[in-house]
Amino acid sequence: MILTILRIMYLRLRNNPLELLLVFVMPVIFFSIFAAIFSNGIATGSDKKLRIGLVCAEPTLVATDLREFLEANSSLQCTSLNDNQNSQSLDDARESYLIQDAQNSGRFDLIIKLPCHVPTDEADDPSTVTLVTDGQNSMAVAMVKSTVNAFFSQKQAQAFAEKFSSLQRGGKDTAQIQNESSSPHDHPDSEIPKPLDDSFFDVPMTPAEAFRESKTGQLMATDEHGVVRAGETEAIVPSRWTLPESVSPDRSSKAEDKDQGGGDLTGDIDDVSILVENPQATSQENPRIAMYAAGIAVLFLLFSATGNAAALLEEEESGTLDRILVSKAGLFHIIGGKWLGIFLLGGVQISVMFLWAEMIFRIQLWKHLDGFAVMTVCTAAATSSFAMLMATLCKSRAQLNAASVVIILSMSAVGGSMIPRFVMSDRMKEIGKWTFNAWALDGYQKVFWYQSPISSLQTEVTVLLGSAFVLGMLALVFSRRWKRG
Amino acid sequence: MTETPTPILTLTKVRKKYRGREALKGISLQLFPGELLGFFGPNGAGKTTMIRCISGLLKPDSGQIRMQGSANSDASGTARLGLVPQNLAVYPDLTVQQNLEVFGRLEGVSGRTLQERIAEVLDWAALKDRTRSLVKTLSGGMQRRLNIACSVLHRPSVLLLDEPTVGVDPQSRERIYTMLDELTAQGAAVLLTTHQLDEVETRCHRIVVIDHGTIVADGKLSELVRQTIGRPHRVFVRFDQPYLKELPAFSFDERRTSAKCAIDSMKELPQVLAVLKQLEHEPSQIDVRSFGLQDVFLELTGRSLRE
Repeated sequence: MILTILRIMYLRLRNNPLELLLVFVMPVIFFSIFAAIFSNGIATGSDKKLRIGLVCAEPTLVATDLREFLEANSSLQCTSLNDNQNSQSLDDARESYLIQDAQNSGRFDLIIKLPCHVPTDEADDPSTVTLVTDGQNSMAVAMVKSTVNAFFSQKQAQAFAEKFSSLQRGGKDTAQIQNESSSPHDHPDSEIPKPLDDSFFDVPMTPAEAFRESKTGQLMATDEHGVVRAGETEAIVPSRWTLPESVSPDRSSKAEDKDQGGGDLTGDIDDVSILVENPQATSQENPRIAMYAAGIAVLFLLFSATGNAAALLEEEESGTLDRILVSKAGLFHIIGGKWLGIFLLGGVQISVMFLWAEMIFRIQLWKHLDGFAVMTVCTAAATSSFAMLMATLCKSRAQLNAASVVIILSMSAVGGSMIPRFVMSDRMKEIGKWTFNAWALDGYQKVFWYQSPISSLQTEVTVLLGSAFVLGMLALVFSRRWKRG
Repeated sequence: MTETPTPILTLTKVRKKYRGREALKGISLQLFPGELLGFFGPNGAGKTTMIRCISGLLKPDSGQIRMQGSANSDASGTARLGLVPQNLAVYPDLTVQQNLEVFGRLEGVSGRTLQERIAEVLDWAALKDRTRSLVKTLSGGMQRRLNIACSVLHRPSVLLLDEPTVGVDPQSRERIYTMLDELTAQGAAVLLTTHQLDEVETRCHRIVVIDHGTIVADGKLSELVRQTIGRPHRVFVRFDQPYLKELPAFSFDERRTSAKCAIDSMKELPQVLAVLKQLEHEPSQIDVRSFGLQDVFLELTGRSLRE
């Protein structure tokens, strides 16, 4: 008897290709999607590089050096944001615009605003390197902070070493050098420091030679993934070149960190601060939650929309559709009415999700109500058309259920409803652009994260409404099978 | 001098190829006001295809379908049609009243008129006390009656019913035919397809038999019997042993254990019985009955299975 029951199950499975698809093909599809995301997306020892935008108000040598230094790091992909590649100066307004534009484009994990100069002695004004983040990729901030620290440590050490070398060539002893290297208030003229032990410099090459070699990358302390660990910047300079405490200059400034996450900035760099700025964080409580709300809302919107559109197939199976078609309602009325119903329901569904997010997580819905409304209307319109097209293409409700599970889950995985798009590789992001999820999430991201004006949603609105129109028209075309058999 | 009635629905040489085969091969038919036409045929004969063509859900490849002079694709034509699909084409999650309201609105009836019509059809379909019940809680017969009620709110001049009595008990079936009789009495033309021979025989004013996409018989039952079998009545005799002698007017089967004889009227019956009285072996069974639709149907369509 058990075998007979087993045989019934086997026969039903064998005779049902849709179930076979869900049982055997679906897991493989999902495995492939997630494997593609995780193997090529998140920096897990793969070729995923952090995308860094560089902007410099004044084209200076230090800017070029820093860029070269960053480019030498295999984990970073640097792009200059300056017009004409650093050949022209930028005013503050242009610089701000470039940074904001680059950040809103979503093409960069971090933007580095370079200083116009680097102080080489006490007389120079202190300067600041600003790391502009959108808060999405905290790993990028930590890594770049360390790398920039390393660069300025090298610069400072190189400057000191060259000075030391020139002084040595000029016949000064170490005491003199030490004296000159120390700040006057730390080491008053009356107090002559103890000379350094000669063995400290017992090396076969000059400091300048050694630091030139540093550009090969061997100076950076990295973990097994090639990521520079915050707090280990002292390892950047070989210990043999680390000056003793008594000789070490005592002019380090504290790096500021305005990131709400409150990352600890390490690295003592003379008069060069690293400032982390998150323009969104200053005026937002919880922008990331808005993204999750949007991701989940779009995923469930797609499911509920196809579920509602499936009523059309139910009506076909029961004959209700025939009865309606014989009435005064035409195909346009039926498809249009269903579309409108799904659209309104979808709009309410997203609104409920965001209202809840506002109540519990304070996503500042009221502040971004206009952008939210625009994106919700566009997203609901696109998903309604998609659902109607699916319903008109499928022959039965079972077919629609199977197809929608496969398509919606795939779209959601690739489009960012399940895994944030910023951890995906560029290729995965490009593929994601074939999904509603990606466009909708990009739009909501602009609204809630970047706090961009409605005008910045032009692309997302065009794509979503365009899709809504095209898919809606296709649904209308395919629905003619009900009218003419 | 009697006036020839004007047909409310006319089909002229309608052809339709459906799913790779010719489902209708030049069907011509007329339906008159107040008529209850039974459309009868084996499975796959083309009944549903014809109903879908008449209702405008399928477009004929050739031929013409007209309702009171205007082609059915015309809005004014379709507005006069009511369709009762074979399945329960109502919303089970809505109440009886709500179903009637939505289908009435879809037919263009609204406001006070709609409420009056709903009250009328609730009474007509004997569903007055179940107005607020969800359809899924109704019995099969009630659901069937509601299925029909939803199609008459706009008072159609032609009502098409595709097997309206499938799966209902005799009481509900009787009620449904009473409802249809009331409709025809008001002048509506009703065309129904069914497999219930007795319903067609006893209830329909006219019977059309369709087979392989062609109308093979059209008329009242007595006319069909006359057209297909020739004589309306039959005497059937059975013997326990083969009867080897000749029996005038009777035709034997191969084993010669039974014989049958067709007669024009019951007046011939005494003569036939007189012949049977003189037989050497007394028949074990004598059966006299009138030919019915099943005889006509099998005569016309044969005994081979369809589909």
